[in-house]
Amino acid sequence: MNDLVQVVWSGILSGSVYGLMAIGLTLIWGAVRLLNLAHGSLYVAGAYAGWTVINVAGLPLALAIPSAVLAAAALGLVMHALFLRPMLGRPGWDSASIIATVGIGIALQAAALLMFGPRVKQIPAVAPGSFVVGTVRFSYQGLVVIAVAVVALTLLYLFLRSSRQGMAIRAVSQEMDASALMGVPVERTYALVMMISAGLAGLAGVLLSSIFFLSPTSGFTPMIIALLVTIFGGLGSVKGTIVAAYLIGFFEAAVQVFVGPRFALPGLFLFMIAVLIVRPNGLYGVPEAQRL
Amino acid sequence: MTTTPNRPTTQIDERAAPWRKPKWGAVVFLTIVALLMPWVLLQFGGGSFVVHMLIMFFLWSIVAQSWNLVLGVSGIYSFAQLALFAVGGWTTGVLSMSLGWNPWLSLAVAPVAATVAAIVIGLPSLRLRGVYVVLLTLAFHELLRNYAINGPEIISGGGYGLIGVPRLPTGGLFDGNHILLSYYSGLVVFIIATWAIWRIFHSPIGVAFAALRDSEGYAIGRGINQFRIKLFLFGFSAFFTGLAGGMMTHYLGSVSPSIFAFSVLINVLAMIVIGGWGSFGGPILGAALLLGLQEALRDLSDYRTLGIGLALALMAVVAPQGVWPLLRDRVARFLAEDEPKKSAGDVAGEEPENEGATDRSGSSAGGGVVESTPGH
Repeated sequence: MNDLVQVVWSGILSGSVYGLMAIGLTLIWGAVRLLNLAHGSLYVAGAYAGWTVINVAGLPLALAIPSAVLAAAALGLVMHALFLRPMLGRPGWDSASIIATVGIGIALQAAALLMFGPRVKQIPAVAPGSFVVGTVRFSYQGLVVIAVAVVALTLLYLFLRSSRQGMAIRAVSQEMDASALMGVPVERTYALVMMISAGLAGLAGVLLSSIFFLSPTSGFTPMIIALLVTIFGGLGSVKGTIVAAYLIGFFEAAVQVFVGPRFALPGLFLFMIAVLIVRPNGLYGVPEAQRL
Repeated sequence: MTTTPNRPTTQIDERAAPWRKPKWGAVVFLTIVALLMPWVLLQFGGGSFVVHMLIMFFLWSIVAQSWNLVLGVSGIYSFAQLALFAVGGWTTGVLSMSLGWNPWLSLAVAPVAATVAAIVIGLPSLRLRGVYVVLLTLAFHELLRNYAINGPEIISGGGYGLIGVPRLPTGGLFDGNHILLSYYSGLVVFIIATWAIWRIFHSPIGVAFAALRDSEGYAIGRGINQFRIKLFLFGFSAFFTGLAGGMMTHYLGSVSPSIFAFSVLINVLAMIVIGGWGSFGGPILGAALLLGLQEALRDLSDYRTLGIGLALALMAVVAPQGVWPLLRDRVARFLAEDEPKKSAGDVAGEEPENEGATDRSGSSAGGGVVESTPGH
């Protein structure tokens, strides 16, 4: 019974975290057809921005979270303006965009290493402490993370469904040419998507760096898992991504509890390989050949 | 097609051939230089370091060339190449160190093991498309890294990798100087790999890859079995990558999980991108450039990764073709015989059915030393 509670708790916690990370990736893919391999570095950038606000500027934690989101979003905007916008619509977008984001990601990582050094840092928890039920330890920070993730995902869903900007994003991701003809400002929409996605990565970074440690390379594993989630859910599908995030969270937690923590990541990869063989486009993905 | 109805006879335009005859003088000259280089260099102090850099260049440019075959030529976004490199390195390391095999024998097993690993990775991943391949191959990369760190002691060395792998025995040659042996074996493997990759570029197989990359629907329509041909290429590139990995292990005397580090992956990727994505000479040039810069800017090594990252991003935006196109014509003039002096209109090029694809490979990827634009 305790094991089961542990699985559910860890599953919901990691599922929320993965959802925050992955939704940004899937949004960008949906709108711009860009696989953003710099997403992990945006996560790190957000976390370091939060850390700076607390430890250098000496401001309270409540200010660190919004500033992390803003810093990451600003980076996303810069990335869009400098690198992605000039490449849009050119032939060879697929390979060029992957290379560019890999390059940006590694450059951000190196910049973080130069500015903050290789030593691991930790951001204080929003809500320190924990309580124990049975043998399972529930941390308050975990509850905060879950709450923030659920609120952010719900707001994002509402934004995409009913606001003008959200509808523009959905229109662009469904049919770029037609929406441009209907007067949707395509480039501005792309910039907006980049900012939202980067901001979500920054949010995940600043929240998670109180649970895990923060170092210049600590964004890599979350990014890989977020990639797994988006691909499992079907690239470009917001609903699929959220479902997949929680499914993968539960799967990982179950492997951790019943098999051993060492096997969580390998187990996840093997699971994904099996899934992709059976369903090459993920749970809710549109078959690729139709898109291209 | 270029067959004009008012010409009864058909001729083959020599310039349409996808390769030129090499200039033997230049080839012999280069061979002699390559053979004498280490003997001359070792006469000077610090020369052995240059020889070391040349060995590094041979091995890394093999990896870059084979990865370029996968990434640039056939458009498979595989990030598993360094994992295959590591498979080669570990195979020979475990066999020669832990099981006591003769290093030459275990080195021969390394490329086979890497090829087998490539087929295992390729079977699920090559059925997928585009970015899905990125993810799945990265997952394999992480899986192997995990195994190399957490695996059984005989493989992981307790997380530190294999240290003290025996060097390749010289068998009395070169006065037992293992650097010279590594240089010459590296040179031989580099030449064989480069030649094999050159043949792949300029063979019907290479043309099929170019066609698949440029117009997949059309290529499949012409009867190219996409999956089989991609799997072949993947295995082919793994063969030489694994061999390079094995040689690196014996040369350095160790292999450690740091080979899986993302920065190493980025370094090789930068060789391909900066040199010239999808072109034949690009990765070779890129390997030379990056290794050279790395040494020239040794003092700035803290900023190296930052620089490489920014360079990658900038190249993708500003010059997606890389540096190679700037040099291609000069190298061609040096290495290959000149084009026959005929004007394009003189000859009605009648060519095999894959002509359209040859054309594309020449112009879009800068497929090789020669641009072929017969009759139109």
